[in-house]
Amino acid sequence: MARYAMVLDTRRCIGCHSCTVACKVHNGLPVDMIYNPVTTVGPTGVYPNLHQVHIPLLCMHCANAPCVDACPTCASQKRDDGVVFVEDKMCVGCLSCVMACPYGARTLNDETGAVQKCDFCKERLDAGKKPHCVNTCHQKARIFGDLDDETSEVYKLVNSENAARLLGELNTEPYTFYIYGLEVKNP
Amino acid sequence: MSKNVDLEQEGVEVRKSACYFCHQNCGVLAYVKDGKVLAIEGDPDFPTNQGGLCCRGNIALQHLDHPERVNYPLKRVGKRGEGKWEQIPWDQAIQEIAARLNGIKDEFGAEAVATAGGTQRTDDWARRRFMNLFGSPNGFHNSHLCWIPTFMVETAIYGWCPFELDMGNSRCLILWGQNPGAAGMPEMHHITEFQSKGMKVIVIDPRFSETAAKADLWLPLRPGSDLALALAWINVIIFEGLYDQEFVANCCEGFGELADHVEQFTPEWASPLTWLTPEQIRAGAYMYAMNKPGNIQWGTSVDQIGKPAGSAMHARAILRAITGNLDAPGSDLLTGPSPDFITDEEMEANDRLPESQKPKQIGADRFKLVTWPGYSRIAEETKKVWGKAPTAEWMCEAHPPSVFRAILTERPYKVKALLVSATNPINSYGETKLVLDALRAVDFMVTCDYWMTPTAALSDYVLPIAGALERPTITSSYGCSDFLLASQRAIQPMYERRNDYNFWRDLGMATGQKEEWPWETVEDAYYHRIAPLGYDAGTYDEFVELYRFHFPEREYFKYQRQGFATPSGKVELYSSVLKDLGYPPLPPYIGPSENEVDDPELAKDFPLVLTTGGGFMPYHHSEHFQIKEVRFLRHEPYMDINPTTAAELSIEDGDWVWIETKRGRIKQKANLTQGIHPRVVYTQRGWWYPERDMRDPELGGCLESNTNVLTSTADEHCDPYSGAWANRGLLCRVYKVDASNLKGGK
Ligand code: SF4
Ligand code: SF4
Ligand code: SF4
Repeated sequence: MARYAMVLDTRRCIGCHSCTVACKVHNGLPVDMIYNPVTTVGPTGVYPNLHQVHIPLLCMHCANAPCVDACPTCASQKRDDGVVFVEDKMCVGCLSCVMACPYGARTLNDETGAVQKCDFCKERLDAGKKPHCVNTCHQKARIFGDLDDETSEVYKLVNSENAARLLGELNTEPYTFYIYGLEVKNP
Repeated sequence: MSKNVDLEQEGVEVRKSACYFCHQNCGVLAYVKDGKVLAIEGDPDFPTNQGGLCCRGNIALQHLDHPERVNYPLKRVGKRGEGKWEQIPWDQAIQEIAARLNGIKDEFGAEAVATAGGTQRTDDWARRRFMNLFGSPNGFHNSHLCWIPTFMVETAIYGWCPFELDMGNSRCLILWGQNPGAAGMPEMHHITEFQSKGMKVIVIDPRFSETAAKADLWLPLRPGSDLALALAWINVIIFEGLYDQEFVANCCEGFGELADHVEQFTPEWASPLTWLTPEQIRAGAYMYAMNKPGNIQWGTSVDQIGKPAGSAMHARAILRAITGNLDAPGSDLLTGPSPDFITDEEMEANDRLPESQKPKQIGADRFKLVTWPGYSRIAEETKKVWGKAPTAEWMCEAHPPSVFRAILTERPYKVKALLVSATNPINSYGETKLVLDALRAVDFMVTCDYWMTPTAALSDYVLPIAGALERPTITSSYGCSDFLLASQRAIQPMYERRNDYNFWRDLGMATGQKEEWPWETVEDAYYHRIAPLGYDAGTYDEFVELYRFHFPEREYFKYQRQGFATPSGKVELYSSVLKDLGYPPLPPYIGPSENEVDDPELAKDFPLVLTTGGGFMPYHHSEHFQIKEVRFLRHEPYMDINPTTAAELSIEDGDWVWIETKRGRIKQKANLTQGIHPRVVYTQRGWWYPERDMRDPELGGCLESNTNVLTSTADEHCDPYSGAWANRGLLCRVYKVDASNLKGGK
């Protein structure tokens, strides 16, 4: 069994939002629903000594997923491969999971009354493909793979670079990892 | 949506299509069943995008069947711009347009028919072919602002434009006024890749752009001062002994004259003009000259600075030559035209334009480089060495602002008809008010487009054109590279849309060019072009399916075998071609079109320096504002202003502000950012509002936020070599929109 993970390499991300749009259109999301916003921090500093970083977000696919625990109807579930998803037919829209998620990864779809979020494009995974946002990223800033596979790129990156978890102190154990560029450039 | 579409189901075919929303033409796999596209994704095997697609690429399905698309030929029934249309059959449209054009030709001459084009989303050789056979020299594009002057200056100096980068072997890349991080995704990926392996990246840009943020050295120069920087770099490289003595001695003409000429242009001289310190200027020159081999990438900015543009291109071209960074591994490569497949130029039938029509080309008397005088001269030299000429469409064009003026003034003569293809001149050409007046005044106008744009709304006929997934594509750097990438259509055009090729062909046949269009479909024409390559494929589609690409073996140092395609066979630093055309043979210093040094009085009223936008995600030029799946990212236009300047002007983040030049004012929202010099403002380009009233005079609010209202196309602001007009480095002022200054409208 695989243990899926995504690495976001902020050294590579240029904040182009292709991933955001790809996720939206290929998953057929309403205009006001975004699974994976890209936040830009900066430019910080004073002209011309500046720094800027883009942070692509998505559901962290936590190993200890508080959203799953919080769900009273068991609509929020975790598969054995780590994918956290919502079984929308079982969702009653109570928003317990939305409040439980510390990453703001979940939103209510007003039209369907069900909570939705990134599910790592599980249908694609099952068909042997990568998530849309990963495929579409020209910069290869989103790297997806099996963290149990020592030959995989995600394994190598998580174990060789400075890979951090967002809000690691909460011990939700996200399977989404961030690599930050350490050097600040320019004279 | 595709999430629930089973792509494994029976009958699903995968077509190797291409994106057509910018001219990178990323490879796309389209999953098609029963003539419908079920899903698309980036083609992982395509060499440039490798599976990636930008925002725009991802919305191909939304674009394909968007409710706002023009799907049937429309004929105006009300007054011009009134928004009343009648749906008519294609054949009727073609017959009526042809009759009208032939009538104009009989009465006023073929030159009274002009055509306007946009970025390459079309088969431009077909338009050129039509125009040549029709007898008019007055085709034009936005190409004056985009690469073409550069191409022609560089070809004058070393016999082709070295636009092919050998980045894999390069140690230094200069991105000159270019921001691939927001405009050229496939390229940005390669840059990041090679940078992580040690290649140095220098970004020259007044803005802390997406790309500047990743650079090893960022040079935030005053907009429009590129020429001063380039001259100072030449000075440093020569006088601090960084040049390639062997290459200069063996391959270049005029080095002595050049050295004398640039002695005055020290970094200390350039510093107040560029707003860079002498140390910054030296640092850039050293980084490029000491990290050999290196590349200087072309970017649109230098083509857009107006008056100093041609000279700046010449100076930049010299930098490559004196550092020996030409056609060597890791440097800028001179590919030449393809000797193997039939080039765009060979499809254009340029020899069919009567000699007597060439001098009538509007602008050819003043701007000689990108019109018949310069083109013929340069084509003659390239034919001697490469056997072929550069593409004439783009490289040999009427001067657009002068055509708009000719419509209004009837000088040098009457221009009666304008055929608009794949462009929206109101938003994309300089000095919008002039363009708008001309479009309102022209006797007859036809627009071929996907959408009802402000330009289309003023037309007599609007014709529905097939888009990305509905047409095949050959990508070959505007017909000027020796390789090609081929893509097929995913489906036949929907509704009554047609390929632009079919439009020009049908119109050609209807105006009396029957014998001249033997290829019934685009695929037939493309097959004709690739057949000489000798691949084992019986049709164009088969070629795409089996081979798709043609990359000839790369040969470095071709000049050792064949010389450079210049009169002397050498790199002409001191350019005899430019001299013959009446231009300075070495690059003189010319100040930006408007600047505080030469026009201190103007600078008192307009104290800020304006740089108008390059490409920004998620739009392309003036396109895609209709598509909510990308519009949500940037719903309104934004201009960048430094917080210090904004505070002085009592402007807060998100305020609507006026940006005003001598030519007019526009409204955009203030984005307070440290990423821009306190004396510079940056506006986004392209903006109009398709959700508004599309009738004249509102025309989708096409004047309100459109940065081209601010730009200048006055002859004295244009580059004397090419006629490129001024989009950057102009003087402006900025103030908050409030009730007191809202009056008087736009
Ligand atoms: S597509 Fe890639 S580079 Fe673009 S914003 Fe997303 S993660 Fe960043
Ligand atoms: S990020 Fe939020 S929604 Fe995703 S698994 Fe963790 S807690 Fe659940
Ligand atoms: S993995 Fe799929 S669902 Fe999740 S953010 Fe990426 S594209 Fe959207």
